[in-house]
Parts: sequence; structure tokens; C-alpha cells
Amino acid sequence: MLILVLNYDFRNQMIGETASLSSCYQCATCSGACPVALLTNGKFNPRKIIEEAILGLDGKLIDLQEPNAWLCSTCQKCVELCPQKVELTEVFTRIKNESFIKGKAPEAFLAQASSVFENGIAIPYSKPINQRREKLGLPAIKTADAQEIQALLKSVNFDSNLQKKGE
Amino acid sequence: MSYDLFLGCVIPARLPFLEASSRKVFQKLEIALHDVDGFSCCPDPTGIELLSHDAWLLLGARNLSLCNGNGGVVSLCSGCVETLKAVNYCLNKYPNQKAKINEMLKDSGHEYEGNVGVKHFAQVLYENIDKIKENVTRPLTGLKVAVHYGCHYLRPAEIIDWDDPFEPVTLDKIVEAIGAESIQYDLKMECCGNPVAKSDKDLSTSMIAQKLSSIQESGANCVAVVCPACFQQFDFNQKEVNKRDNTNFEFPIFYLSELVGLSFGFEPAELGLNFHGVKTSSLIESIQPSTS
Amino acid sequence: MMVQMESNSKQALVIGGGVAGIQAALDLANMGIKVHLVEKKPSIGGRMAQLDKTFPTNDCSICILAPKLSECSRHPNITIHSFSDVQSIQGTTGNFTVDILKHARYVKEDVCINCGVCAAKCPTRVDDEFDRYLRKRNAIYMYYLQGVPAVMTIDKDRCLYLTKGACRLCEKNCDKEAIDFEQQDEIITLDDIGAIIVATGYDLYEDIYPLTRYGYKKHRNVVSAIEFERMLCASGPQEGHVKRLSDGKEPDKIGFLQCIGSRNARDKEYCSSVCCMYTTKEAMIAHEHNNELESYVFYIDLRAGGKGFEKFLTRGEEEYNIKYIKSKISEIQVDAEENPIITYEDLESNEIKQMKLDLVVLATCIIPSRDGEDLADKLGIELEENKFIKTNAFFSAETSKEGVFTCGCAHEPMDIPRSVAEASAAAARAAEVIRGAV
Repeated sequence: MLILVLNYDFRNQMIGETASLSSCYQCATCSGACPVALLTNGKFNPRKIIEEAILGLDGKLIDLQEPNAWLCSTCQKCVELCPQKVELTEVFTRIKNESFIKGKAPEAFLAQASSVFENGIAIPYSKPINQRREKLGLPAIKTADAQEIQALLKSVNFDSNLQKKGE
Repeated sequence: MSYDLFLGCVIPARLPFLEASSRKVFQKLEIALHDVDGFSCCPDPTGIELLSHDAWLLLGARNLSLCNGNGGVVSLCSGCVETLKAVNYCLNKYPNQKAKINEMLKDSGHEYEGNVGVKHFAQVLYENIDKIKENVTRPLTGLKVAVHYGCHYLRPAEIIDWDDPFEPVTLDKIVEAIGAESIQYDLKMECCGNPVAKSDKDLSTSMIAQKLSSIQESGANCVAVVCPACFQQFDFNQKEVNKRDNTNFEFPIFYLSELVGLSFGFEPAELGLNFHGVKTSSLIESIQPSTS
Repeated sequence: MMVQMESNSKQALVIGGGVAGIQAALDLANMGIKVHLVEKKPSIGGRMAQLDKTFPTNDCSICILAPKLSECSRHPNITIHSFSDVQSIQGTTGNFTVDILKHARYVKEDVCINCGVCAAKCPTRVDDEFDRYLRKRNAIYMYYLQGVPAVMTIDKDRCLYLTKGACRLCEKNCDKEAIDFEQQDEIITLDDIGAIIVATGYDLYEDIYPLTRYGYKKHRNVVSAIEFERMLCASGPQEGHVKRLSDGKEPDKIGFLQCIGSRNARDKEYCSSVCCMYTTKEAMIAHEHNNELESYVFYIDLRAGGKGFEKFLTRGEEEYNIKYIKSKISEIQVDAEENPIITYEDLESNEIKQMKLDLVVLATCIIPSRDGEDLADKLGIELEENKFIKTNAFFSAETSKEGVFTCGCAHEPMDIPRSVAEASAAAARAAEVIRGAV
């Protein structure tokens, strides 16, 4: 038996100071326009995510990932069309951030994040690429000092969250 | 005219030929692009931001603080543009967050002042469209381009503050300025699906598949993009779609800077067109037969 | 019934000859006060004349309106200034001086008998504004069939004589010699106006703003509510037999999309108030014309706040095959046969569905009359943030200027009964000023 708890703390966290989440009047403009909703026949559903966020249903959104906020393609159609100016993708980001803290982010995201943590950038420069750059007459790129980036990321607990996997 | 250049992660380290064509085009237009040391990942609005908004604000603000206010910063990537613009927007709107970020940046000796304007390279091209027309020596007549604006080039309009979020014109106008034809197609404004690949590869494939199908129906013979994520999705994944759906899509994909470069008379090899996934040579040969 | 007034009494000015302006004028006139009724169109009647039926009784609109139009034209205390605009206003409450610009209609109002021979001879064809450009009229025309004053008007921008010096067939064929090409615009000064009532009504969203995501004006089978109203009307361009504009076929499946431009923080943030009701009405009437009709109303919320209104909606469901679907639609696509296709979430099953329709009707937002800002400026009255007239929160006939009152949709979106009630309220307040406080 599935019991859902209305978590007011989670709800308030989702509402935050911005994103006008509580203005939503569930008109379904977003789900009607969402390309992913159409392709998944409503399995991914922005309106439902917002509904669950308003109700503080972290059990569904974070634990069960129903609907799965990670399927959003960030096309921002919903945000642009929403008649109440709800910043849906901002809310989805909050949900995904929470997911990350609970160790539920998909592997591919963690891989990119690890690279940024290790190197300061998402894709390290390989030798063949550097050679190709030279051939194309491109300058050598000096990216950020990885340690500096690590220190900054540590200050927002990025590394400790990165370690959590499927807690 | 000069700008700081923000390259991001993907283009310089994986698709350097897109960087090459862009630099050449800007050089021809006499717009200086100044390289800045020390940039990190922007961070990716379809990646890092989704894990930690704080990390995203922090690294984004740091990147902006490295810019010298040369006239602002130009990026070759729609994702980087979105991040940098959105960080500006957020820290401008919420001064308490700006104060918090600067407090955290103090130790590494940076300060985010919020005075660096951010532009997409296509915006700079559009703003110099007359100069572009003057420099066209080989108009791309015969190219029927399906322009793909992508999403982060346009939306959210309040943050991007550039072209119309659903009926844009800037990229079509540039394509026409260099002598090519911009072809309308039903799913023109739909997302390429790249950001979903990290969560559901099959869904991502379906999204690009429907775009390709619509483009095929329209009679276009190539696609133009302004974002490396869209570029990869179109250039590398047509074969994925073909494998899965038994289709035979084979559209050459061009970065806008490559098309502009071709119209300026640069040779395909100079622009690195031979490094593309889908071969571009036969299409280019058909519209610009080589004299050699 | 008529009260005799002293000959030096002040008079009333009513700006706008729609149902609200007409009611206000009649109330004042019946109290013995002389009224000048100014209307910018060639005839009074306003929006109500364009409607086929009115909710919730589904009575014939012009049948209710026409007697009032006649009464206005025959009332000894009412002077109708049709085809006229207010040019300037000076003075204060009890003592206004108003200049009215009466446009030349090139027809003698006291001679023309509205026989229509001139129009039959006129070679020029112009898109008819009253019928929402769904049919043509001539350069010499009646604004609409039952219009008052019942005289013709010449469209000076389309008349061959007035633009190119040719033709003059109307003049040649008029038995009464009512055509007068020498007519000039004239300024009429009214210097004994005691009180003013602004009843300028509304314009429609689609008149000013594009509706590109809905394909309005691009897809032929997407029409606006007022256009559909004209299509339903027996005296309209399709004579009451609703036909698709693409292929002339009768639609069997119509989608009604609510809140187009309204209740939108990016657009008009207010509720347009009457659309849920008029959409139901339109669907009902359409069903009476075609018993096979399936109507689908896509809404955010259903607003039915008057007596019998909620029941009206239920009747729609039970007797007229109307299905209400909670899902706001933000764009329309079409297939190869120009059939509109909409994508929406079915909130019962949470599935995303696509519906192919024969015709789509857009319930567009009511917006203040386009001349409203200019007029407010001339009158010296304040407008609120949506550019409707700012009124006293408790006494809604009062504007921000003493002696100037308002009623009807110039105040805010409202239905006919409310417009009429406000008109009487404004008339009472105006009379108070004109008679002088005791």
C-alpha cells in the first residue's frame, strides 16, 4: 500500500522565494505543449510535477521519481507559455538538486560532474585533440586551475553529494 | 569591436573545427575575439545546474568575473550563453544572492560585478549582417537549409532577451544574407532532444528522429545549428536513428559559422568540414564545384 | 411620462451608442433630460447588434435591441450624432462644453429612405466590418440591416468618386437626390452639457494583437467567437448555415478554446468574464442548427456566476452534446485538409491526446475600446492598469472626474444585463448632476 505524505518543508523548499510555483492553476498548458509529454504519452508530465511539488509530495517526486523530472529536455516551452509565469524548469531544477543530495541522480550526470570536479571542465583535452587544434591553427587553451574549482565546489558540498549513489 | 571569447567545454575539446570556422569568420569581419585564461565549465545548464544550483551560480559568476568587460563576452555555445545570461539575471535580481556568491568567491580572489554583457555568436553575426553581406564572395545558392534554432538560443525570453521565443527570424536572415534558402518545416521550433540523452537515450533518439522526418518532408538538403549539443545530436545520431527506425537520413549538418565561412570563400578543409560525422563534401561540391 | 424641463436646463452627453449608452440615453430622456448620444460608427447598436442570441435565455439579440434603437431615434429628447467622434471637452461638472466631429457620410440624413438602390448599383466591393470581413459590402452601405439612423453612408476611402473622381452611379440612381458629395465634416459645439456618460464598450483582442500560435488569419478553419456569432446569425454572411471557410462543409466537430489572451500574466491578466457563457450559448445554437454536432470546450475554469448560469452549462452538457475539457490550449496545428489539430492533456487519464476538429472557435479577450486612452485624455479621467476606466470601488458609475460617469464594458468586461443595469445607474447619477443637488 502506497502512503503519500504531504511534506510541508519540501513544499516550502519548492516554492522558495521565486519561481511563482504557488500561482499555478493547473490549466495543463504546459503538458499540452511539452514535446516529451507527447512522446511519452503523459508519463513525463510537467503539470503533474508542479501539482506534486505544490502538494509537497517528495515521496513521489524524489523517491519514486514519478513523474521523472530528469526526462525534461529543458526546451523551456512550458515556461514561455505558462499563463501564470510559473518558472517550471526552475522548480524541476530544485527537484533534481534535492534528488542529487539524496543520491538519486542518474549516472550520466554524475559522470560529467565528476569530470568537472576533477578537471574544472567537463571534457579534458586529449593529445589527439590538441594535435588537431594545432593543425587547425587554434591556440592552446588554458582552463581553470582544477584545485581552485574543487575548493569552490567543496564549499557547496558538491563533492560529498557526488559520493552518494543510490542511498 | 572586440569581445572576450567563451568557448565552453564541448567545442574546443571535442569539436575544435567549429571553433576554427568561427574564429576565421570573426577575423574576416574584423571583430576581435580575446582569449581569457582560467575559464571552467560554464556550468552546463543541462548538467551541473540540475545537480546543484549553488555550484552553478558560483562557477558561472566566477567565469563572468574573469571577463574584462571588453565589450562583453561572446560564446559559441547556446548552453553557455544561457548559463551566463541566467547567472547575470539571477544575481542582478537577487542582490542577497550576489552578496553570498561574492563572499564565497573572495578566497579565490574573484569578484562578480555584474557588468559583463553576454552575447551568442549568432547575435554578433546578426548585428553585423551588413558586413557579412559585403564579405560574401561565393553565395550559397542551392543550399536549402533547414534552420534549427534550438531552445537555449531563444528561451526563456525574459533571460535570453534576444529573438522571438517562438517565431524567431535572426538565423533565417543570416542564412538568406549568405545566399542560401531557408526552408520552413513543421517541427522547426521543436527541441533536438540532446539534454534527455543523459536520462533516456531512446527518448532522445525519438526526438531527433521526428525532427529529421519533418526536415525530410520539407525538401531541405542540410541543417544549420548554433549549438554544439544540437550539432552532436544531429551530426552523430542520424545513424542511431537509422539503425533503430530503419530510415536513411543523411543530412549534412552545418554550424552557422561554417556556412558563413563558406560564403566568404574559405575552403571546406580550412573550416574543418572533413571532420563532420555526416559527409558534407558532395553537397558542397554540388553548389560550389571546385576548380581544381 | 415625460417631464417638462426649463428651457435653460443642462443636457447630457452619452459617448457610445451600444446597449449601455442607449439605455442610459433612454433613461435620461424619459426623465425629461435632453441627451446627445454620440456614436463613432454609422449606426448605433454596438456589439449587441452583432450577436445572434444572448445567454442565458438564448433570445434573439437584435429582437431585444431593435425596439430600443427605434425608441432612441424617435425620442424627442434624444439627438443621435452617428458617425461622430468627441473632439474636445472643456469645463467641469455641471458645465461642460463639448466639440463633436461629425464625419461627412455624403448622404443627406433627412432625405435618404434606405431603399438600397445606390448600394445595388455601386461597383466597389469592400470587406464588411460588421460581418467580420466574412462578406463584402459596397462603398455606399448600411452598417448593418437594422441600423439606426436608417440611412446610407459612403466610405470615403473606397468610393470611386471621392478617391478618383469617377463613377457617381449612386447619385445618378437615387430618386430622392439624397447623395451629396459636397458634404463636409462638421464640428458641432455643445456648450450646455451638465454631465457626461462614457459608454464606449470594448474592442476584441484579435483586432489589435496577432494570434499566431493559434493560426488565426492563417488557418481558415480557425475563427474568433464574434466571427462564429456572425456565421450562426440568420442575417449574417452564411445565413445561419455554418460552413467551414476552407471548403464550405458543415462542421460536425467544433472545438471552443477559452481564455485566448485573458487570464494570462504575459498578456491580459484579467478574466474576460462573459466567454464561458457565450461559448456555451454558441455551442447550443450551433447544435440547434446541426443535431450531429459534437462540441468540445477547452477551459481553465468555467465561470458561470449569474442566476441560472450554472444550470445553463449543465444543460449544455445534457442536452446539446457539449463536452467540457479542462485543459488550456496554446497552439493549433492543421493537417493537409486544413482540419485543426490540438494537443492536450486529458486530466482524467493523464494521457496526452490529439484531437482533430472540423472548426475551432477562439474565445478572445475583451479589451478596452481602442480610442479609450485618447478619450480619457480629453475627458481628464483616469484609466486603471488594463486601460479600462478607473471607477470608484463602491460606486462604479463614478469615474475619477466629477460629472463624468461610466457604464458597461468601458468600465470592465460584463454581460448585457449588467451593462444595462450600470447604464441606469450612470443615468441616475448624471440626472442628479443635471437637476442640481437639492
